[in-house]
Amino acid sequence: MIGYSNYFYRVTILARWLLLILLTVPVLAGVVGVVLPAFGYFPAIGANAVSMDVFARLFALDDAAEMIALSLTTGAASTLIACLCAFSLLAVFYRTRVLSWLQGLFSPFLVLPHAAASISLLFLLSPSGFFARLFTFDSDAIPSSSQSYFLFDELGLGIVLALIVKEVPFILLMALSVMSQPLIKEKINGYFNVGVSLGYSSISVFFKLILPVLYPQIRLPLLAVLVFAVSNVEIPLILGPNNPSTLAVAVLHWFNHIDLSMRLMASAAAVVQVGVAAVAIGLVILIENILAWLGERSWLSGKRTFGDDGLKLLSLFVVAGYAVLVAGTLFNLVLFSVAQHWPFPQVLPSGLTVLHWQSVLEAALEPIINTLILGGMVSLTALVLVLLALENEVLGSFNRAPDKAHSYQSNAGALLNIALFLPLLVPGVAFLYGLVWFQQIALKNAVWFHVYIAHIVYVMPYVFLSLAIAYRKLDSRYAMVAQSLGKSPIRVFLSIKLPLLAGPIMVAFALGLAISFSQYLPTLLATGGAISTVTTEAVAAASGSSMRLSAAYVIIQAVLPLVGFLLAWWLPGVLFTPRKVQINNKTTSPQPFRGS
Amino acid sequence: MRLHAWGGSAQVNSYLQWVAQQVESKYGIRLQHVKLADTSDAVSRVLAEKAAGNNSNGSVDLIWINGENFAAMKKHGLLVQNWVNDIDNFALTNPEDNPAMITDFGEPTEGMEAPWGKASMVFYYRKTHLEKLNLTVPKNIHELMQFAQQAPGRFTYPVPTDYLGISFVKYVAIALNQAQSELFYAPVTPSALSQITPALWQYLDQLHPNLWQKGEYFVRQASKLQRMVGSGELSLAFSFTAAEIPSAVERFDLPLDIRTYSMSDGSLANVHFIGLTFNSANKAEAKAVVNFLLSPEAQAKKQRVQVWGDDTVLAMSKLSQAEQALFSTTQSHPSALDKTQSTLLFAEPHTSWTDALRQAWEERYGARY
Repeated sequence: MIGYSNYFYRVTILARWLLLILLTVPVLAGVVGVVLPAFGYFPAIGANAVSMDVFARLFALDDAAEMIALSLTTGAASTLIACLCAFSLLAVFYRTRVLSWLQGLFSPFLVLPHAAASISLLFLLSPSGFFARLFTFDSDAIPSSSQSYFLFDELGLGIVLALIVKEVPFILLMALSVMSQPLIKEKINGYFNVGVSLGYSSISVFFKLILPVLYPQIRLPLLAVLVFAVSNVEIPLILGPNNPSTLAVAVLHWFNHIDLSMRLMASAAAVVQVGVAAVAIGLVILIENILAWLGERSWLSGKRTFGDDGLKLLSLFVVAGYAVLVAGTLFNLVLFSVAQHWPFPQVLPSGLTVLHWQSVLEAALEPIINTLILGGMVSLTALVLVLLALENEVLGSFNRAPDKAHSYQSNAGALLNIALFLPLLVPGVAFLYGLVWFQQIALKNAVWFHVYIAHIVYVMPYVFLSLAIAYRKLDSRYAMVAQSLGKSPIRVFLSIKLPLLAGPIMVAFALGLAISFSQYLPTLLATGGAISTVTTEAVAAASGSSMRLSAAYVIIQAVLPLVGFLLAWWLPGVLFTPRKVQINNKTTSPQPFRGS
Repeated sequence: MRLHAWGGSAQVNSYLQWVAQQVESKYGIRLQHVKLADTSDAVSRVLAEKAAGNNSNGSVDLIWINGENFAAMKKHGLLVQNWVNDIDNFALTNPEDNPAMITDFGEPTEGMEAPWGKASMVFYYRKTHLEKLNLTVPKNIHELMQFAQQAPGRFTYPVPTDYLGISFVKYVAIALNQAQSELFYAPVTPSALSQITPALWQYLDQLHPNLWQKGEYFVRQASKLQRMVGSGELSLAFSFTAAEIPSAVERFDLPLDIRTYSMSDGSLANVHFIGLTFNSANKAEAKAVVNFLLSPEAQAKKQRVQVWGDDTVLAMSKLSQAEQALFSTTQSHPSALDKTQSTLLFAEPHTSWTDALRQAWEERYGARY
């Protein structure tokens, strides 16, 4: 038995290393391909002198500072507002059934890729959009030609809005998956009972007692959200201003510039983009500290409420806002995808047709299959590696002397956390180009392999972050009891932990699928377009002239991951309800000590 | 076999699907249309391959290009030279007597790319909007200014990094400088540029505050223009493919009240091409595909409004009676361009003007990304 368990332990070590390598090697190789040109070294165009010239040229641009500021303000503002919204929703509804209903309400925007979500908002908010139609009563009216707020405005309000709409569901999902862990759940219930019995309102209990338990567990995913918000390309491209645009958009533009010497500028800007992300993180850490200090004062103040009315109002506003957006989006997208002519200001199209769906489905069958194969392979790999690596953390601490175990854990943990954040910190367009360069040198025909690697770099962190919380918080007494009953670590892993974690595992898998489905640049750059996915087709359609085809593609982009999440929520309940496990144990293992 | 081509038009995409079926059944060639959002993505890729030493097994075989993308590929040696003379049907374009077939924006093609289709700039508008706003159709550059001033926010043009955007700037530049139009057909010089810009800036300075979003925001892609005319946010726009307009009406993407016309003071015109990359592993198959693209059958199908409506590059004088008959379909869609009217055409300026005008524009109005 010992040999067997050691074998399993070695497998988990291997998985951990493989995970580290898969996360770091592609990104670091890509980074080399960015940092060198940033300092003026790019032999392909005859640039060999290492200097700071490129940075000097970048900062000499009139609007460099404005672009950096726009990236920072939109990213930071949206993340902070999204946190406020998500936490106030949790505070108001965390003890009620409303939460599970909210998850349903939010799911469309959770699964919609960023580009698709932006297109949907554009459909709703433009002067000829659905909301304008609802409030135009003159049937001969033509759409307003005045400037619209939230679209292309200088402050980037449209970007902020779209980011918030995407972020709130994600933060909520992360928080709920932490709060559903048995240990945390117990703690929360305990705190709640104490707080309420001392006369604190449930909202103030949440902010004073529960959030301090919850926050450290979702801090990493939150920072990932923040980094994405300051460096993403899709949303500012579709909704943002271009006088100037955000820095990330400029990076993309310079990388795609026909004048290849602009690659140098693009690389320097990509390096600056990493700095912008770092500043944003610093800013949030500062705000955390201020809030922690304020929080201590509010503990001592003894006040039994916590801006309850304001937060309730905010929550209602957020819920109502989502209800309107989701209903409007669904109505609009579905109708547009089947609409004949639909003149303004009519609320309904003049007729229906399947023409657009015919065009899309004719063209999209192969991309859909590619998307599913790729997403399935990538998510499955990520899931297996992440589970084994997490198990390795547990086994690692058992297999070492107690004093050494701690430092092993913290060192390995720190290394892993850095690795996890690498792909989320470096703008994709930058390191992916470097990656393509290296992929061209080695194995240039293995297109599926390259795109698989490019996707795994993005999928792995999310699968890890989403699963780690649940895994690390799994009540270790289950495993201890099983082991004391003679089960080997591998049996504990397979028959105790995996079934107990069925819910989070399925959610992580579905998340992996959704992340893989939504990748545009990694797919396009790694395959050179040889493998088309739903998202590459959708972005091409979004750059095209037909709103109707765009609508159909957005629907496909939403439906694919949604099916994944629905299965993830539904299947564990069917397969692994605790009662069934109990019955199974009774019927199939009459001799609990039979084990090894 | 991979053909890398912009994938934003349903008509072009379905035409290429038909091409793929044809070459598969005729020659057993499997043709894949790689849909690009931006053609320069593919140019970058071929360059990356060259930088990495991939000289014989590239991922791009054929690429749909013209103008700057061609100039960049030519400059970096990314295309095969003189391959078009191996294409039987290339002779049907009558290249000896038709320099437009071997000149891409003033740049000699040196046999690196085969002509595929041609286009000239047309304008289109919402008839009901103009009636409601009590406006007449602007027929020249000066009437366009009056239109913009009387109906602020109802017209715009894309950023000059977009093909149609820079084309609009060129149209304005040429139309306002007709007395010295010979300047445009030689490589640009600082003095030539300074001769044509005063009139151009005066015009654009006056036009911009009357554009959509007050000229603060310029759309990134030409296709957005068609969307916004379709949704009614714009009342007037322009395009390089006259035939895409009636076919967009047929597909419900543009409303029924759309009318198409050409400016009476001249329309910018050019040819678009198919290039063969230096590191294609399937050169023989690629040539067979290009030969098919230049066949009277494929060209006639492409010219049909219901399909794509892209004008043929074949010279009718080189075709047999039966082949000519393929092209003579009657087209009378209310939204289509009236082809019986003769139009004055401006040839594309020398390719060096594109960069010069764009840079000057960006210096004056700010680079838009």
